[in-house]
Formats: sequence, structure tokens, C-alpha cells
Amino acid sequence: MKQQKRARFIWVILSLLILAACLISFNVGKVSISPIEVWQTIIGQGTPKQELILFEIRLPAILLALLVGTGMAISGAVLQTVTRNELAEPGILGINAGAGLMVVLYITLFQGSLNNMSLLSTFAMPFFAFLGAMLTAVLILFLSWKQGLHTIRLLLTGIGINAGITAILTALQLRLNPHDFMKALTWLSGDLWATQWKYVWALAPWFMLLIPLTLYKSHILNVLHLGPLVSTGLGVRTERERLSLIVLAVALAGLGVAAGGGIAFLGLISPHIARKLVGPKHQYLLPTAAMIGALILILADMLGKNLLKVDIPAGIIVSILSAPYFIYLLLKTK
Amino acid sequence: MSLSARDLTIGYEGNIIVPKLNMEIKKGKVTAIIGPNGCGKSTILKTIARLHKASGGGVYLDGQDVHRMSTKKLAQQLAILPQSPQAPEGLTVQDLVSYGRTPYQTGFSRFTAHDLEMVEWAIEETGLAAYRDMPVDALSGGQRQRAWIAMAIAQETDILLLDEPTTYLDMAHQLEVLELLRKLNEKDGRTIVMVIHDLNHASRFADELIAVKEGMLICQGTSEQVISSEVLREVFDIETTIVTDPQTSKPAILSYNLVRQ
Repeated sequence: MKQQKRARFIWVILSLLILAACLISFNVGKVSISPIEVWQTIIGQGTPKQELILFEIRLPAILLALLVGTGMAISGAVLQTVTRNELAEPGILGINAGAGLMVVLYITLFQGSLNNMSLLSTFAMPFFAFLGAMLTAVLILFLSWKQGLHTIRLLLTGIGINAGITAILTALQLRLNPHDFMKALTWLSGDLWATQWKYVWALAPWFMLLIPLTLYKSHILNVLHLGPLVSTGLGVRTERERLSLIVLAVALAGLGVAAGGGIAFLGLISPHIARKLVGPKHQYLLPTAAMIGALILILADMLGKNLLKVDIPAGIIVSILSAPYFIYLLLKTK
Repeated sequence: MSLSARDLTIGYEGNIIVPKLNMEIKKGKVTAIIGPNGCGKSTILKTIARLHKASGGGVYLDGQDVHRMSTKKLAQQLAILPQSPQAPEGLTVQDLVSYGRTPYQTGFSRFTAHDLEMVEWAIEETGLAAYRDMPVDALSGGQRQRAWIAMAIAQETDILLLDEPTTYLDMAHQLEVLELLRKLNEKDGRTIVMVIHDLNHASRFADELIAVKEGMLICQGTSEQVISSEVLREVFDIETTIVTDPQTSKPAILSYNLVRQ
């Protein structure tokens, strides 16, 4: 009960912080719009230009950051629990790279260019990212499977696969023309590029489906966290549940990559901070991690767009913010 | 309830560790499985509890093959505590014990009054009421092991299996855990099977001992039958001086030497 109260309190605080981050993101940008003007625009009294900036540019960007941040954080939390390793994360396992590779392949082979994507290809993109993430996950599972799932083998295989795919990606990028090369580079370092309503509509239903499904598995995750022997003893079909949860985590990461490119570290640090705040019970951990992931990404996107004269991809900002935390984590791990 | 292994063969990475084992676990008794390192005793325990696959033969609970039963149904009849389990950082005793009710839950289902009652009972029975809100990782070794036992008994099963429940504990905490198990057996006739290293503890706390060597059952019986110079020479390659413990009237190993050939 004490935990529940604490978790609720933290959820309220995080919600307020997210709301504040959204409001600031509304105000600042190439054109700054004051809070009063934002309010006037919301109630329909703004200029057409203000309406365009707020509703067609800034609002979809914020919503995408919210979705992608949530998805990456939940994906990381699930992978960390299933592998019982606090360093697990879709980025480290090569799943983000796999999704990225498939998207780059799709764009270069079928579209010829990163510009002018048709509506159909927009909706096809999440599928390709998802496919890339899944293929990578299947490859990792296939290579690390040895009479069952061994989490250390899984992690090491993932790290190897990540290096391999990143190399292929680089080789592919070198064949692109300079303009597309720049675009691909920005995208792969984690840029919330898909900031139009059509992308939000293409991605949101998937998140709406997968996130509740993961939350539904909270209790199973709690038990899996005790290790495969204990969870089997408690009557959980361990191998099957672990596989289906890996599929869920991979799907969420793949969708995140489709909209936000390879945002590193977000899936690693969000569950960590959440664990420090609300403890290891997934009923509290997953929503908290989701909120932290969303908050970090909204802030990173806003900082990236306003800090310097040129846009910095949100993924770079997340990395800069997370790198010290990651090193601290490595030093602390026994 | 009857639990037995018939022609049970267990392999690991192509090697046969246990060839055609036949044994019967006595109902309502405490059974200790003893044997040298690598003899397969832990593997046998895991296979009885379907944590390890059998390559041949089977384990039967009331005539049903445990490896073919629904894992959830089995978890309502048999609980197993593996060796040195690790609790996630920050998990409270109360939460850990409540996970023992997993075999009775589905999806979002809430705890019934009976679930809560069983969790309470398990916490009381293991003497952890004062520690319920503490993280398991902040407890002493003995308390931590009691918390895990509490989780296993909250599972409300007739059979409880434990893999080396006293490993890494100091002497006082070892006795604490073994006396708790004895109490759980005597109070409601729970069948307990444990793998244990300390032969004097096996002799003192078990009604029935099973001595295993190279995956084969060498001797099964009371402590008087199993803790004998002949059996121990065969199983452990040691020469023993055995006396009767004046406190418990059970055989105890006073001293031992390696067998010299």
C-alpha cells in the first residue's frame, strides 16, 4: 500500500513535468509563441500562421516524442527483466540497428530517395522497421539458443549483431548521394523526423495495442524477474512467456525506430530511474519508466531544436544526457 | 499423494548423468538426498520438479507424469526452491511471498481473501512479520532464506522440494532453516525433499535418506541405515567414525578420513 501511494505520487509529479515540457515545447522554436498566444490559438483565436505552427508542426512532434519515448522505455524495461540484466536495451542488442537497416534498405531500394515519400510508403514504414527489428531478434535468438534461452549468450550475441549491422549500415550510407547521406545519418542518430500527423496516425494504433498488452503482463514479469527456475516452479510457462515478451519489446523498439530513428540509451536509463523511484514491481515500474522515457524525449527534442542555430537530433541530446549515467552504471555493476 | 521416479534417465549436453533411476518419495516425511559433488542429486531434484527435462522414463505424481502435466496445475501441488535464488533489488518480503500465489492467478485477477490469508500465514509461520516491508536484499542470509521458504509455502502445496537450503548460511542460521522445515513437516504433514551437503544435518532432520553416486541410487532408508561406515565408504570414498548423538539419538559422524588404496 505504501508503495502504491508512493507510485501514485510520483505519477502525478511526472505527469505535471510532462505537461510542463509540452507547454514549453509549444512556446519555443524558430518562431516563439507566448503562452497567452498558445492559449488563444487553442481556443481558436490565433492567427493562421500560429495555428499552422502549433497544430501542424509542434503538436504532432510532441505526440510522437511521447509515443516513441514511452515505447522505448517499456521495451527496455521488459528486456532488462526478461534477461535479468540491467544493461539490456534494444539499442545495445542491435534491434534498433536492425530496424534502421531495414528502413534504409526500403527507402534506398524502393523509393530511390529519402525525399517525397508517398502516403502508402509512410504507412509501410512501420512495417519495415518492425520487420527489421523482428528479423534481428530472430537472428539473435537463433544464434544464442542452446537447449533454451541463456541470457548472457543472448546479450553477447546481440552486442555482436549490433556491431555487424552498424557496419552494413555505414557501407550502405557511403553509397548514398551526399544529401541522402546527411539525412540518413541524422535519422540513424535518432531524429524525430516524422513530425506530421500522418506519421502519428500510422504509429499510434500500434502503440495503443502493444502498451496495454505489456502492462497486462506485469505480474508475469514480476515472477520472471525471480529467474527461470523459480518462475517455472511457480507454474509460469517460462520459455514461452519470455519469448512472447521479447517479441513485444522488439515490436515496441521497432516502431520507435520507425518514427525516431536509433535513439540510444533511452530504453536503458528510463527503466533504471523508474526502478530507483518505485521499486521493481512492474505494475508501478512500467508506467513510471514510460513517463520518464516520454519526458526525456520531449525535453531532448525541444533542446535539440533550440539549443543551437542548427537542429541537433534528439537522439544525440539523449546520448549526451545519458552517457554519464551509463558510465556510472557500468562502474556500479559487479 | 505419491511421488516416484521410474526408469528416470537424465542427460545434459549429450552426456547421461542419471541412468534409469527408480525411487519412491515417502508421503508426509522429510527426505534428504545426499551424495558427492557432481553425483547428480541436484539434477534429480530439478527433474522431479520439471525444471529439467528427462531424457527417458518419468516422474510420477499420483500416477501422472509431471513433465506432461500443466505446469500451473503441478505448481498447485508441488513447490520447489532452487539453490541460492536472487531477489530483484528492492523487492519487499511481502511482495516476494505474495508471488507464491502465482499458480492460482489469471491475468489481472485480484487477490482473494484466501490468497491474502495464505500470504499472512506464510509470513507468520516463517517468523518474518516484523520484516514484511523490508527489501529482501537487505535481510540477513538466514532471514532471506526464510523469506524464500515463505514464498514456497504460500504456494499451498503438499510437497516442498529444496535444493541446498542451508548453503552459504552460518551454523545458527542453518539450524534455524532446518528447524523451520521440520516444523512445517510436523504441523501439517507436508512432504519435504531436500538436497543437502551436511551429513549430520541429513541424519538429524530427515526421516528418510537417499544416497546417490554417479546418478545411481546406492542406498535409501533411515539415518541408521544410510549413515553407516559401509554406505559412506561406497558413496563418498571416506572412512568414518560414527557415534550416536546423545541429544538426538541419531547417528553422527565424529571424524572421517579419505579411503587409502
